[in-house]
Amino acid sequence: MTESQHSLRRRLDKLFVPLTVGPTLLWIAGIIVYPTAKLLWSSLFFTNPITGAKEFVGLRNFRRLLLGDGGSLLNPNFVSFTWHTIVYVGFSVSISFLLGLGVALLLNKDLKGRGWLRTAVIVPWILPYVMSGLMWRWMFQAQYGAINGVLMQTGLIGNKIAFLSDGTLAMMALIIADVWVFTPFIIIILLAGLQNVPEQLYDAAEVDGASRWSRFWNVTYPFLKPSILVALTIRIIFDIRALDLVWVMTQGGPGTETEVWASWLYRTAQVFNKPGEGAALGVVMLAVTFGIVAVLYKIFGETPYES
Amino acid sequence: MSTETSRFGRLTDSLGLDTDNEWPSVVRERLVSYGLLGLYVFVVWFPIYYILITSFKPTSDVLSLPITFFPHDATIQNYVDIFNNRPFEMYTLNSLIVASTTTVIVVTLGTLSGYTFSRYDFMGNKALLLSIIAARMIPPIALIVPFFQIMSQPPLIGGITGSLYDTRIALILTYTFFNLPFAVWIMKNYFDGVPESLDEQAKVDGCSTWEGFVKIILPVAKPGIAATAILAFIFSWNEFVFALVLTSSEQAQTLPIAVSLFVADDFVDWAHLAAGGMIAALPGILFGLFFQRYIVSGLTQGAVKE
Repeated sequence: MTESQHSLRRRLDKLFVPLTVGPTLLWIAGIIVYPTAKLLWSSLFFTNPITGAKEFVGLRNFRRLLLGDGGSLLNPNFVSFTWHTIVYVGFSVSISFLLGLGVALLLNKDLKGRGWLRTAVIVPWILPYVMSGLMWRWMFQAQYGAINGVLMQTGLIGNKIAFLSDGTLAMMALIIADVWVFTPFIIIILLAGLQNVPEQLYDAAEVDGASRWSRFWNVTYPFLKPSILVALTIRIIFDIRALDLVWVMTQGGPGTETEVWASWLYRTAQVFNKPGEGAALGVVMLAVTFGIVAVLYKIFGETPYES
Repeated sequence: MSTETSRFGRLTDSLGLDTDNEWPSVVRERLVSYGLLGLYVFVVWFPIYYILITSFKPTSDVLSLPITFFPHDATIQNYVDIFNNRPFEMYTLNSLIVASTTTVIVVTLGTLSGYTFSRYDFMGNKALLLSIIAARMIPPIALIVPFFQIMSQPPLIGGITGSLYDTRIALILTYTFFNLPFAVWIMKNYFDGVPESLDEQAKVDGCSTWEGFVKIILPVAKPGIAATAILAFIFSWNEFVFALVLTSSEQAQTLPIAVSLFVADDFVDWAHLAAGGMIAALPGILFGLFFQRYIVSGLTQGAVKE
C-alpha cells in the first residue's frame, strides 16, 4: 500500500462520524425541523381563501380555535370534537390494551403452533389502514354488510341496522375497526416484554403459594411496565393523529358526530382551505401529544426512550 | 418421553397446578387457551375473508340478498376490470417505486448513523439521538399544512424542477420523515447488541474503520437491516393521509388512494373496491406470513428498550 493510500484511509477514518451521522442529521433537519418551524409560523397567519394573500394575525387562530367567534365561552366545535377524540382514543386504547394483554398472555404459554398463531394475529396491523377502514365500512354496510347479514341470518335482530347513520353506532363501529387494526401491535410489544420475565421468579412465587392474580401483579407486571408504557404511548399518540380509518369509514359523520381532531384538522386545512387554523390545531395536537407522553412517563416512572 | 414430561412439567408449573394429580385440568387449560386463541383468530380473519370473497363475486352477487358467505360463482372479472378501466398498473408502479426508494434511503442512512450512535461518543451525541427520537413523536398529521405548503410552492425545495406537488419525490421525501427516526433507533439498538470485540478484531486484522464496518459489522447486522427494511417498506406502502394531500393524479397516486377512489359520494363500487383492496393488502399479507419474525424483532427493538 502506498503512502498516499494510507493517508487517504486515515483521513476517511477521521471523517467516519460526520460522514455516517451527517446525512441523517441534515435529512432530519430538512424534513422535520423545517416543517415543524413552518407549522408554528403558519399558525400565526390568516390566508385569504380567494386571493391567497397572507396576513399576520398573531394568536388569533388559536383564539378562534379555542374560544370560537364569540358568544359562548368556548368554541362548541372544539369542545365537541375534543370529546369525540377522547371517547374514540379512550375506548379504542383501553379495549385493545386489555384484549392485547389477554392474547399476549395466552400466546406466551408453551403451546404448539405458537409461531403460526402469532403470524395469524399480526396480519391486521400490517394491512393498509385505508383498506381496513373500507373493509369495515363494507362489514357495517346497512343492506349488504356482513354484520347485518350474520345478525339477521342467525335471527339475532329482526331489522337491519344502519350502523354508520347513527352517531353512537358509527363511533362504536370506528372503535371496533380501530381495535381490530391495532390490537396486534399491543400483542407484539407485550409479548416481547413477557419474554423478559425470569422463569425462576414464577417458581419462587409458586413456592410462596401466590395466587394467579398476585403472581401477575407482583411478578409479571413489574417486568412488563416498560412495554406497557411503550405500547400505550404509541397507541395513544397514533390514535390522536390517525385520520385514515375515520376518514374512509365516516368522514366524521353522520353530521359531525364522529368528527375527531385529526379529521377536523384535515377538513379545516384542506377542505375548507384555512391553513392558519389547521396549523393552530396542529400546534395544539403537538402540545397535547408531548403532554400525554410526559404524563405516562410519570405514571410508569421510566423514560420511554432511554438507552 | 422424558422431554415430553418435562415440557408438561414446565407447563403445569407455570400454570401453578399440582403436577401429580391434575393432568385433566392441564389438558383443560390447554384446550381453553387454544379455544380462546382460535376464536380470536377466527374473528380477526373473518373481515379479511369477507372482503376476499367479495372481490371474487360478480357485481350482481355482491348486491343480492340474502348475503352469501361462501363463493359459488367465483370470478376474477373484478381484478381484470380494475386494470382495464383504471390505471391500476400506474398506481401499483407508484406504490412500488415510492416504497422501495424510501426503504433504500431509510435503511442506508439509518444503518450508518445507527452504528455510529451505538459506538461513538461524539459531541452532543446523546442530545442528537434524543431529538431524533422526539421527532418520532411529532404527530405527522399536524404537519400536513407545512408539508402541503412546502411541496406546492416552487421556491424552496422544488426551485430547480418546479413544484413537487403530485410527484413521487414528494411522497418519498415525506415517507423518509416517518421512517428515518424509527430506523435509526432500531439499528442503534441492534448494534448495541453486537459485541464490540468484533470491531476490535477488525482493527487488529488491519481493517480501516470503513472496511471493518462493511466487511465485519454489516454482515452480522443483516437481521436488523431486514427488520428495518420490511417495516419501512410496509409503512410507506400503506400510507394514506399524505398521499391524499400531496398527490392528485395517477402520476403519483399510490394504491391506498386508488382504493379510496372507489368510494363516490352516495355509491360505493364494493366488488371492485374489494379487488383493489386485496392488491393493496398483498404485500402486508405476504410479509406477515413469511417475515413475521423480522417484523416482530424490528418492532420490539424499535419500541422497547433492550
